[in-house]
Amino acid sequence: MNIRDNPELRDRLAAEYALGTLKGGARRRFEGWLHADAALRMLVQQWNERLVPLGELSPHRAPRARVWRAIERRLHLEPPPKRWQFWHRDPLQWWRTLGLTGTAAATALALVLLLQRPATQVDTVAALTDERAQAALLVTADHRNGVIAVRVLGQTAVPDERTLQLWAITQQGTPRSLGVLDDKGSAQLPLNDRALGSDVAMLAVSLEPKGGSPNPNAPTGPVLYKGSWVRLL
Amino acid sequence: MPYDPPNDPDQLRTWLLGAARHDARAFHALYVATSPKLFGFALRILRKHELAEEALQDAFVSIWHAAGTYQASLAAPMTWMAAIVRNRALDILRRADSTPDVDLARFDAEVMNNIEDSGAGPADTLQASAEARALAACMAALERAHRQAIGLAFFHDLSHTEVAQQLALPVGTVKTWIRRGLAKLKTCLTREGL
Repeated sequence: MNIRDNPELRDRLAAEYALGTLKGGARRRFEGWLHADAALRMLVQQWNERLVPLGELSPHRAPRARVWRAIERRLHLEPPPKRWQFWHRDPLQWWRTLGLTGTAAATALALVLLLQRPATQVDTVAALTDERAQAALLVTADHRNGVIAVRVLGQTAVPDERTLQLWAITQQGTPRSLGVLDDKGSAQLPLNDRALGSDVAMLAVSLEPKGGSPNPNAPTGPVLYKGSWVRLL
Repeated sequence: MPYDPPNDPDQLRTWLLGAARHDARAFHALYVATSPKLFGFALRILRKHELAEEALQDAFVSIWHAAGTYQASLAAPMTWMAAIVRNRALDILRRADSTPDVDLARFDAEVMNNIEDSGAGPADTLQASAEARALAACMAALERAHRQAIGLAFFHDLSHTEVAQQLALPVGTVKTWIRRGLAKLKTCLTREGL
């Protein structure tokens, strides 16, 4: 079916995709079109912007303190000093600084946007974590340019004489090699359904002999890092 | 009760910019300001505390790493973060799940009433972003049945058929309601300038 010349249908399908009612084969077919159709992705994004704010209308609930502690641990963050809480003690002070920081931020933002003009547009990310749930590798997907980029975070070490290899694990549990990382733990890989298809359940990185797994269909070494794709808008 | 800063979009953007520069303090401030709203959202989708905590944790790890890619021209900061939470929560729901766990009475009490009362302004709605308030107003203008069908699909990741089962209605009726409801929402939100 060709939907390029049917604006009404395109908008309706984008809305149902964003809402979530488009399911199964129809959803997978639509995702296939999305890969190659920037205007269609824009329609989906507009519908997400319209519908996602519904989420703010759920009853608010404070998460338990352990959630933040776990985030801190996974990102290797230092516990923040108490000082940031100044506005907890003095709400008025917080209000007073608000106008100033708002304006300054808007200016800074405009500058950043003007100067950077990002050539890449990352729309999906996966933070791969080790067995202690610390983030070790970051995988980003950029549909506009059709690339997936991998880079190491923090002190993640790539052992000499060994190679890290990236796999997509399907919902059936089948590994699919996406490529090997270089000595610095980086890689640029083509973006396709092997890596980002709707049947991909998670990403994993295994430790392999130099050059990669001798078996093209499965890792031979231990899986060091794993994580799931998260779509941004 | 601790002072709860309103989710001022300029302030959220400043913190996001801070997180992009790997400023842990800005990131923590962002978490403190937005996590009750985002956790409430994750909990509404997943119903179980442990799963909602997992979704919130994964989402904030992604927000930290992706903050540098946030483009203010494309989405409001709250919408951008809520989309990440929703995508992660839905992935977890699909992984864990077989049959949808819908408590219609509770859904009405927690979500539909909140949307309908948005004009009256209960505490939670007052803190909602401009985008959420406009959406609530446009949702409130729909027929109740259309509103309920869209809300159920959104929060419970239901298909047309599953919404129809929940409401004990023919699937064709539900399809039409959702289609019309979405079209009206679009018109209404365009009028609101969003």
